[in-house]
Amino acid sequence: MSEPILATDALSVRYGSFVALQDVTLRIAENSVHSIIGPNGAGKTTLFHALTGRIAPSAGRITLGGRDITRTSDHERVRLGLARSFQVTSLFPTLSVRENLRLAAQGRTPWQALAPWRRAEANRPVLAVAEAMLERLELTRVALRAAGELSHGQQRRLEVGMAMAASPKVILLDEPTSGMGIDDIAAMTALIRDLGRDHTVLFIEHNMGIVMNISDTVTVMRAGRVLVEGPPAVVRDDPEVRRAYLGNMITGDISGPKDLVS
Amino acid sequence: MIPVLDRPLVQFGLAVAVVLILPVTMRSGTLASEILIFGLAVAACNLLLGYTGLLSFGQGIFFGLGSYVAGLGLVRAGLPASVVLLLSLALGALVAAAVGWVSIRRQGVYFVMLTLAFSQMFYFLAYTFSGLTGGDNGLLDIPRPRLGDTVLSGPWAYYAFVAVLFLALFAALQRVALSTFGRTLLAIRDNEARAGAIGYPVRAFKVAAFAISGAVTAFAGALHAMLIGVAPLSNIDYHTSETLLIMTIIGGTANLFASLLGAGAYLLAADALSAIWPRWLLLLGLLLIVITLFLQRGLWGLIERAVALVTRAPPPEDPAPDRPVVSNPDVAPASEATR
Repeated sequence: MSEPILATDALSVRYGSFVALQDVTLRIAENSVHSIIGPNGAGKTTLFHALTGRIAPSAGRITLGGRDITRTSDHERVRLGLARSFQVTSLFPTLSVRENLRLAAQGRTPWQALAPWRRAEANRPVLAVAEAMLERLELTRVALRAAGELSHGQQRRLEVGMAMAASPKVILLDEPTSGMGIDDIAAMTALIRDLGRDHTVLFIEHNMGIVMNISDTVTVMRAGRVLVEGPPAVVRDDPEVRRAYLGNMITGDISGPKDLVS
Repeated sequence: MIPVLDRPLVQFGLAVAVVLILPVTMRSGTLASEILIFGLAVAACNLLLGYTGLLSFGQGIFFGLGSYVAGLGLVRAGLPASVVLLLSLALGALVAAAVGWVSIRRQGVYFVMLTLAFSQMFYFLAYTFSGLTGGDNGLLDIPRPRLGDTVLSGPWAYYAFVAVLFLALFAALQRVALSTFGRTLLAIRDNEARAGAIGYPVRAFKVAAFAISGAVTAFAGALHAMLIGVAPLSNIDYHTSETLLIMTIIGGTANLFASLLGAGAYLLAADALSAIWPRWLLLLGLLLIVITLFLQRGLWGLIERAVALVTRAPPPEDPAPDRPVVSNPDVAPASEATR
C-alpha cells in the first residue's frame, strides 16, 4: 500500500475520566472509500471531530498527506484539503442553494473572502465550482431556492455537496443517509461511489447495505477502540464483529448487501 | 424578498430620493440632517445585527467616541473637519475592533452581556475623565465645518454637507454588503458552525465587521456633534446603543436602505409624538412590540409586501423564529461529541 493520505497514530480523546477514543490508529488509502461502523457510543463521531479539528485530541497524532495536522485549526485543515459533512444537516438555510455551494467553494481561500471590496461575482473559478456541483448533485433546478426550503433528501445531498465543493483531498461524511427514504438512499449511494473515483472518502454509516457494497475498507469500532479492520467480506464474517453487534445495540443490518441497487 | 428592490442601484436610488425629498418636505434642516446621520449609524448597526447576527449594545460607544473626536479635534486641537472625520473613522474602527475582539469570544447571551458591560464601562470612563470629555456637560462650542471660506452654519448648508458624505458612505457600505466579505457574514449569521467548518475564520470576520461598523458609527457620531455643536455625554450612553438597535429593527434587518427608513421613522415619530405627549416613548414601545410580533422584516418588509401586492408577486415571508436545520454545537458539545 502506498503512503496513506490520512492517518492517525494512537489517537485518544478523553472527556475528564471518560475515554471516548483510545489508541485509534488508522491508515486511509488515497482515492479509496473507507467506512467506519460500530454501535452507538463507539466513538465514530468523536473520531470525526478530532480529525476535522473540532476537538483537540488528548494524545496521538494526525497526519494529512504526510503532514502533521494534530494542532492545526479546523479552518486551516479545510485549506489543506479536509472537508466534512454533518450527521445533522447543517446548511445556510436562508441563503440560496447556489450561494451555499459558492460559499463552500470559496471556503478554500477564506482570507481572500475577507476583502470587503471584492465582489463575489469576480471570483470565476469559485462560481464555476458551485455551478458544477449543482449539476453533479442534480440541484440546478432549485439553485435559487433557499436551502431551508429543500426536501430532506435534497438537503442531505446539498450537505454532502458542501463538503465536495471545497475540492478536498479527503472528504469525511457523517452518516450521509441519515433519515433518508429508500429512493434518496440509492441516489446518495451512487453519489458516494462516484466520489470515490477522484476523492478519498471516509464515512460513518449505519446502513450496512451501503457499507458492504461500496467500501474498499471497513473499520469497526467499539467503545472508543478499533475492533477490526479489513475488506467488507472479511469484516462481515469476523466473529468479533458479530459479537460486538449482538452484544450491543444493533444499529444496522450486518447480514450484508441485499437491499441495494448497484 | 423581491429581487428588484434589493438591487444595489435601486437601493442607492432610494437613498438618493430620500436625500432629495427631505429638504422639500421638511421644515427643520437639523432634523433632516439628524435622519441622515442616524441612518448611517443604523446602517452600520445593521451590518452587525442584520448581516452578522450580532446583537451588540456597544454601538453607542463608537457613536460617542466619534462625538468626542469631533469635539477634541475641532475645539482643542484646532484640526480641520476633514482630518477630524478621518480620525473618527480610524479610531472608531480601532476601538470597535478591540471591543469586538473581546466580546466575540462568547456567543449568544454572553456576547450581548459583554457588549453591555463595555457600553457601561466606556460611559463611566467618559464620565470620570471629565477633563477630556467635559463629563456631564460634554464638550461645548463645536464649530460647523467650513467649505473654503464659508462656514456651513445654516441648517440646510450643513444638511448638504452631511448628504454628500451620507451617500458616499452608504455606497461604501453597499459595496461591503455585496462583497465576498458581506456574503460570508450572512453565512455566519445563518450557521456559524458550518461557516467555520467550510473553512472561514469566523472570528476574523466578526472582528472585521465590528471594525467597519464602528468606523461608520463613529463617523456618524462626529457629524452629530458638529450638527448640534456639542459632544454630549448622552451620545456615549447605553441609551444611544439601544436607540440604534431599535431603529435597526424598526427599519428591517439585512437591508441597508431599511436602516435609513428605520432612523427616519423613529426620529419623525419622536419629533411628532414628543410635541403631543411627553410620555411618547411609551407609544414607541408599543410600536416596537407590534413590529417584533408581526413584522419581523420591519418597515422595509411592509414596503416589500406593498410592492408585491401591486406587482402581484408572491409576498415575502417573515423568517421563522426557529430553524431546526441549524445545529449549534456550542450549546451541547458533550452530547454530540460522545456519540
